[in-house]
Amino acid sequence: MTFARSLDCFEFYERAKKGEKMTQDDWDLMTIPMKAMELKQKYNLDFKNEFVPTDKDMMENLFKAGFEMLLDCGIFCTDTSRVVKYTEAEIWDALNNVQKEFTLGTGRDAVRVQKRNVGDKRKPIVQGGPTGSPISEDMFMPVHMSYALEKEVDTIVNGVMMTVRGKPPIPKSPYEVLAAKTETRLIKTAAAMAGRPGMGI
Amino acid sequence: MAHYQGNSDIIMDEQMPIFGGYAGGIEETAIVDIATHINAFVMSNASWHLDGPVHIRWGSTNTRETLMIAGWTCATISEFTNIISGNQYYPCAGPCTEMCLLEASAQSITDTASGREILSGVAAAKGVVQDKTTGMEARMMGEVARATAGMNIDDVNKVLDLLVSSYEGNYANAPEGKTFQECYDIATVTPTDEYMKVYDGARKKLEEFGLTF
Repeated sequence: MTFARSLDCFEFYERAKKGEKMTQDDWDLMTIPMKAMELKQKYNLDFKNEFVPTDKDMMENLFKAGFEMLLDCGIFCTDTSRVVKYTEAEIWDALNNVQKEFTLGTGRDAVRVQKRNVGDKRKPIVQGGPTGSPISEDMFMPVHMSYALEKEVDTIVNGVMMTVRGKPPIPKSPYEVLAAKTETRLIKTAAAMAGRPGMGI
Repeated sequence: MAHYQGNSDIIMDEQMPIFGGYAGGIEETAIVDIATHINAFVMSNASWHLDGPVHIRWGSTNTRETLMIAGWTCATISEFTNIISGNQYYPCAGPCTEMCLLEASAQSITDTASGREILSGVAAAKGVVQDKTTGMEARMMGEVARATAGMNIDDVNKVLDLLVSSYEGNYANAPEGKTFQECYDIATVTPTDEYMKVYDGARKKLEEFGLTF
């Protein structure tokens, strides 16, 4: 049966209020491990010590297993302790309509992110940066500039500033907002000082 | 999410499956990884999904097991969907060490060969020590990706086996490395001679393992 309309965050919210009740322990300790084990056996999955697969049939089985995992289990909402389920048609609707490419950054510093394939000859996009690592306030700009100065790097992924105006950015305090805005401003300045003001961050 | 969608923003949906966690082993964790890739586009209407299979014992994305999960998941997602996927880098060793650069290289090879679109990193020293990341690790990630693109997959697997074998016995005693302040001249944002020598040494080792720059 088809769906009423494409699923979005609003419909997810509605289902998160009405879905089946479950404890997080049941989800973590029963639902996920039992289903993962069952699907591994059902699809006879064995990666045979390969890092990158060469067996397309095994890859197809892995895809079916992952799809079935999402379809059968759904998603556990920790805020409401309820399970959000999707129909098979809703999942395919999302998969059939994913964004196949997009642009990060502006001007001559913009890069186009496009779908790649196994063994693709094109180099992937390099998003350089501390990736959430803790960075001191005084080193924040030079650390990020060190990435922007690398031509191999296409866009920046930020670190986390440990203090702002000397204060820790404690969650739900005004310093949290100040730190987030300061991080963005300093990274934009770092990219500009490296001669790449349009870099995606 | 409602704001991002209403603002037509590029949406990244992130999840890091844990090898040895609730899902269990390599294949089981890859099943969950596939499911959560797909979920990003159903639940969040994401533009891209940021992955990051991580080892429960070592807190690293560069172990043999987590690289296998990443490689199989990404290749499968690339083969059967149009999803755009990234992966994040958490090596055990810190900056200015050969091990850190080799760990990052192993993941860059795996990601590039398996069809990954975005490489995101490198959070050296597991991303938990202040000021222990620099642009040099990202340079290696990029240079290795360039060298790997288009390689035969059987050759990729051989290089990876040699490369991962060279460092996987050292997780418990991974070198801590140096801070950004110790790795760079901060005034000119230039790496030290010491780091450039370490970098060249790691590059030479990668060539010995079969990578052609």
